[in-house]
Amino acid sequence: MENQKFYYDNKIVKLFILATLVWGVVGILVGILAAAQLAFPVFNFGLEYTTFGRVRPLHTNAIIFAFVGNAIFAGVYYSMQKLLKTRMFSDTLSKIHFWGWQTIIVLAAVTLLAGITTSKEYAELEWPIDIMITIIWVIFGWNMIGTLIVRRVQHIYAAIWWYLATFLGVAILHVVNSFELPISLFKSYSIYAGAQDAVVQWWYGHNAVAFFLTTPFLGLMYYYLPKAANRPIYSYKLSIIHFWSLIFLYMWAGPHHLLYQALPEWAQALGVTFSIMLIAPSWGGMINGLLTLRGAWDKVRDSAALKFLVVGVTAYGMSTFEGPMMSLKTVNQITHFTDWTIAHVHIAGMGWNGGLVFGMLYWLVPKLFKSKLFSEKLANIHFWMSTLAILLYAIPLYWAAVTQWLMWQEYTPEGFLAYPNFLETLTQIVPMYMVRVVAGLLFLGGFLIMVFNLAKTMKAGSFINNEASEAPALVLAGKRNAVKETFHRWMERRAVRFSIWTFVALSIGGAVEIIPMIFIKSNVPTLESVTPYTPLELEGRDIYVAEGCYVCHSQMVRPFRWETDRYGEYSKIGEFVYDYPFQWGSRRTGPDLARAGVIGGPMYKNAAWHYNHFMDPQKMNEESIMPNYAWLAVKNVDVTMTPKKIRAMQTLGVPYEEGYDQKAVADLMAQAQTISDDLKASGIELAPEKQMIALIAYLHKLGRDIMSENAAVTEEHGETAEQPTHEITLLNTPEDLEAGKKLYQANCVVCHGPEGKGIPPAFPSLVDDEWIKGNKPADVYHSIAEGNVAKGMIPYKNMLSEKQITQLASYVLITLHEQNQEK
Amino acid sequence: MKIVSDLLTSIEGIQIFYIIGLLIFVVLFIVITIRTMRMPDKEMENIKNSILADGESEEITTSN
Repeated sequence: MENQKFYYDNKIVKLFILATLVWGVVGILVGILAAAQLAFPVFNFGLEYTTFGRVRPLHTNAIIFAFVGNAIFAGVYYSMQKLLKTRMFSDTLSKIHFWGWQTIIVLAAVTLLAGITTSKEYAELEWPIDIMITIIWVIFGWNMIGTLIVRRVQHIYAAIWWYLATFLGVAILHVVNSFELPISLFKSYSIYAGAQDAVVQWWYGHNAVAFFLTTPFLGLMYYYLPKAANRPIYSYKLSIIHFWSLIFLYMWAGPHHLLYQALPEWAQALGVTFSIMLIAPSWGGMINGLLTLRGAWDKVRDSAALKFLVVGVTAYGMSTFEGPMMSLKTVNQITHFTDWTIAHVHIAGMGWNGGLVFGMLYWLVPKLFKSKLFSEKLANIHFWMSTLAILLYAIPLYWAAVTQWLMWQEYTPEGFLAYPNFLETLTQIVPMYMVRVVAGLLFLGGFLIMVFNLAKTMKAGSFINNEASEAPALVLAGKRNAVKETFHRWMERRAVRFSIWTFVALSIGGAVEIIPMIFIKSNVPTLESVTPYTPLELEGRDIYVAEGCYVCHSQMVRPFRWETDRYGEYSKIGEFVYDYPFQWGSRRTGPDLARAGVIGGPMYKNAAWHYNHFMDPQKMNEESIMPNYAWLAVKNVDVTMTPKKIRAMQTLGVPYEEGYDQKAVADLMAQAQTISDDLKASGIELAPEKQMIALIAYLHKLGRDIMSENAAVTEEHGETAEQPTHEITLLNTPEDLEAGKKLYQANCVVCHGPEGKGIPPAFPSLVDDEWIKGNKPADVYHSIAEGNVAKGMIPYKNMLSEKQITQLASYVLITLHEQNQEK
Repeated sequence: MKIVSDLLTSIEGIQIFYIIGLLIFVVLFIVITIRTMRMPDKEMENIKNSILADGESEEITTSN
């Protein structure tokens, strides 16, 4: 048969490669900034645009969608043309895809730093950008399926199955998770609430890992590894089995992100079961990759590209073993909310995704530019820097995770938390965060070496935009001959049918998980005491979302003694029915805030405390790594949006009375005035319309409804009765005073200052003669033991033993007094 | 969730969905595995080598 002449479109591949390199540098730099902020809070720069809460989502989005995304497209556009022996279906679609995707990235960067976010992890972008993503994604798919239709080969190769699964998987995930009700160009509410929102989000979040960071890379592995090694893939049979198992199973596993949380037991069990099952198909992929090199390992010695591919596939194997282990409930209680997860995703991200991208680029760029790699030596240096950076990143964070978890759940012999102040557990791991910055810099250094090496290679070579090739036209094979052709082989030459089956395999898992959560009422038992947010609290919540508070603070107390002792009552599913979107968080860099509004609970802080803390957290405790939020005392709440927000909530099913939107602003101002007055009583002038007032109102709402239910119970049992004052003797040995000092620094310094001078009148001085409740040893003991619930001081008798309270009283009355008199 | 209708209102009998889902997986997995393993090796070799035979690779190593 006569050959047809055609041209490969190399230009689009080059564009995507250049974008990969540019966004890679940006994404890693932002990552290093985020890492530096956790080690040294000064790197938040005191600006709202550069706080960790906004920078961290920018890092994750830049790496996943900008760096990795562009690399996927470069790899797919090159390999699809070669595999299908045709030019891409449409040059126009290719161009729209490229420029549309870059526009989305720029918009994402601007909006995320401006605090325009939905707060759903890895899906933070607001609705107009969501729509753009959908359009550009459909264009990518259209171009891909068009190319499949005009192909010149009979069967579609394994790599392309993965590309198809990527297109379909991401499309389903993005559309379902992005259902939101817009109220302005920059603000929308998720149509799902609380636990439902959590299930949908983590079904998305987990499968974004699957269909953006795994399936396209398996496709790339199936093409670039055999090409780079010049050896066929180990087993085609294995690729068939592991493809179908993997895409089917992944969709079920999302709830493993929500173990021990406010989710029905069946959903948790489902997530765990399927996560464990996922080991098999994942390792099928790894084995197929590694065994491709059997008998050719000598080539790895000479090729940096192959080295990266091998490390990539190995990191994939490690991560896909670790992931299922982390979804076992016993392991998950350690890994969840600690740095373990961060280490896990970076082994996968830097190792698997990074390794494959670097390997691919070192092989592809010389090929495209018809030259040799500028320096194999530099590529090897990059390889070692990159690999060491992964270890230097992950090991300290595993260490940090275990350290912090052990500290969270350690008890004294008296049965109290050994480290009741959350900050102690964080201060301990800050040195690990410093090492992480070094790891990031090492990784960036390697990356820059690669950019230099590839730039030199490009300069030395010659690039042809349209590369000529020829191949015979495709003659359709017609109907299936059941004897000569297996079913799968037949499917491989029916691209559209193959896509439909892929879609079916993907849909089942998502459907069984999400549909019952949304449609079955008994999955979300309601609590009568839980009331909708007041307009001020709602505005405060939106500020909480915009500032990315969820990035460091969870709102989910798990049913462990060491969590309920530290935070208060464990979280229940019915508490979150008015939460659009949910704010459970995934990492506790700061303490959980689910019970921040429970007066008398361990997490309650009064308005004056919050004011001082937002203005300058390091003044309250110099070891704190929280950024300051001073602009919240300058910026006003935009009350013109409030009625619209109330109406949006009503549309979503929140039971505000009919016509409440008209009264909302008046109610908002009235509530704001009470907080403003409260602050004034503590000597703080803050106008009621300021954003900080709204945020304080929101924090004081957290857990309050649950408390009102519990208060009724405890009153019945008479548990709140105060203990009578009894005489005590101060302990003046150096050991006792030293112990008292430690307790003071852990528990009291935040309000009363390191020297005990406090911030009067909100936080009284402990070293003057004006004592509200007397300064005899017995009085001070009593004040510590019973607290001052109305002013936000908790009763320490629930956290410290009698001896510890006596040591504390002794430290205050002996050491602090002496220090003060000396001055 | 006022915005979507309440199609199902009870959790009773819900497990049937998961059992059906799992059964579909197990049956398909067994069928696909058996059928795949019975595919002739010779044909597999041709498929595997096809991506290397694009006129660009220097040499093709097919021996296992």
